Amino acid sequence: MRLLLIEDDPTLGEGLRDYLRADGHRVDWCQSLAATEGLHDEPYDAWLVDWQLPDGSGVAWLRTRRNRGDATPALLLTARDRLQDRVTGLDSGADDYLVKPFAPEELGARLRAVSRRAGAGAARSRIRFGDVEVDLGARAAFAQGARADLTAREWALLEALVLRAGRLVPKADLERLVHGFDSEVASNALEVHVSALRRKLGRELIETVRGLGYRICDRTPS
Amino acid sequence: MNPKRTPSIRARLSNALLLWAVLWGLGVAVAVGYATQREVDELLDESLQSAATLLTSALAVAYREAGAGVEASPALAAGGEGDFAWQLVADNGAVLRRSANAPATALRANATAGFSVTTGWRVFGAALGSEGRMLYVAHSERERVEARAEAALTGALAALAIGLLAHWWLRARVRHELRPLERLTDKLLRHDPLDRAGQLGAAERAELVPVHEAIDDLGQRLARRVANERAFSAHAAHALRTPLAGMDAQLAVALREATPPVQHRLQRVRDASGRLQRVVQALLDLFRVGADVRRASVDLRALLAHLPIEALEVSVQGPGAVAADPDLLAAALANLLDNAQRYGARRVVVSVPAPDVVRVADDGPGAGTERLQSLRAALESQTYDRGVGLGLMLADLVARSHGGSLSLPDSAQGFVVDLALTQAVAHIP
Repeated sequence: MRLLLIEDDPTLGEGLRDYLRADGHRVDWCQSLAATEGLHDEPYDAWLVDWQLPDGSGVAWLRTRRNRGDATPALLLTARDRLQDRVTGLDSGADDYLVKPFAPEELGARLRAVSRRAGAGAARSRIRFGDVEVDLGARAAFAQGARADLTAREWALLEALVLRAGRLVPKADLERLVHGFDSEVASNALEVHVSALRRKLGRELIETVRGLGYRICDRTPS
Repeated sequence: MNPKRTPSIRARLSNALLLWAVLWGLGVAVAVGYATQREVDELLDESLQSAATLLTSALAVAYREAGAGVEASPALAAGGEGDFAWQLVADNGAVLRRSANAPATALRANATAGFSVTTGWRVFGAALGSEGRMLYVAHSERERVEARAEAALTGALAALAIGLLAHWWLRARVRHELRPLERLTDKLLRHDPLDRAGQLGAAERAELVPVHEAIDDLGQRLARRVANERAFSAHAAHALRTPLAGMDAQLAVALREATPPVQHRLQRVRDASGRLQRVVQALLDLFRVGADVRRASVDLRALLAHLPIEALEVSVQGPGAVAADPDLLAAALANLLDNAQRYGARRVVVSVPAPDVVRVADDGPGAGTERLQSLRAALESQTYDRGVGLGLMLADLVARSHGGSLSLPDSAQGFVVDLALTQAVAHIP
């Protein structure tokens, strides 16, 4: 998943970024709200937002995004643990609320849960698309029962499409979701990854909508 | 122990009024007695004088009609039988005639006109005719004393009755005037200084205005202090929790990257970090206890499902529903379960043996009788520095903030804690 982490504490921010990256996610880490200014149109699979930031409130930031119609799943990370705080946080548009200190393992699990809920209502981590089965929790894909050997980028592409199953995902968004900002990639890298996925999982899995993007369909939850 | 009773304004005023009424009655009785003595004497003297005048006239008429034989006249025999005695005395001192209640000897040995006093008698003498006869009309001193006493007693009783009536009326008035104080007490019992809408309102009496002002001022100071403490708590929470979360995230990353021997050490550090997190959480909860309690219906199973319980098998017996502040109850239970785990328990049973009482019973080694008694005494007196750990202290404060308390019932096995979240639970089976 491509994640936007907004956390001002360097120890926590760096720790979470590295932990989530080690889990295979692409993480953009901002230490202030100002640093997110240029990311308004960036596609993310989830936002991880701290409540108290040096230049404002993460809750206000989230509310603004929601008012603009952005439904990206969001987790609020905060030291505030009172009932009223949790209610305020969730009412402001957060999909989940995690009180510090928390174990990064729990953050990973909640992230997967939030993403599953957001992904066209899929409530399970194992999702079937015809002969292909994708296990989001185990980060594995199976073609006709056999585990496919996917690279990190191929998995990132597959995960981005699975989480948006049935919806057309613009090519530009997919490139951001798969590569983020950090990497310098060739202009045809996405097509290469799509081609590889089709080779490993079947040609029918990913539909090309010419000039617009890609889509995964024919989903049958197991 | 004989607790000193607080003086009651009503009782003190009532006693003072009663004493005043009695003293007033006695004072009035003395004054009336003194004043009436002279008046009664004058009245009695006047009555003697009048009686003498009447008798003199009657005897003069009798003498004119009967001459010297008047002494034997039956008309005089009936006369003078009443409140006074009389004697008709010859010039030689012989009693010629007398009333039945008069003495046989002359009241005066020598002819004495006007008022005089002789032994036991107040006498009025008047000359009768020219033969030296004297008419003496007299009251006995006993009768006069009785008359004076009767007048004094009547006055005293009237004064006492007025005093007691005044006492009863003033006592009722005092009770009525103290009612605003009782209503103020009722208001204070329901008063929440932190609730801005819950002001005391206008004072009912001018004397209570300073009390209202003082209470409102105290409430404002308390509200400011609580607001400051809450702000501090929020800052402290952020300042403590975020670095702890950072430590844990860094350790989680390091654990993945480390070699197995280092992983073991890092895991130990992470466990200690987890323990530190729980202590910090308990301290922050402790800070918050008593600020405000928001009761809600709490499902213990759902609550326990969210608590970080590792290596401990926790089950809930019965319906498991209580009315409590969910955050505070979660903090108390988390600490009690942490205690159970640290003292070697493997299983914990949570139940509700009485309404709004949560029992936490573990299968650990428990505490010895002496230790249990020491803990009970410390909890009862809230002297938490006497061997009560952070967990029990926090749980007790949570219970007390709900109006209840923490108790440690006897148990055949393990350690049992009853968290009463309401007042006065008479007997818990």
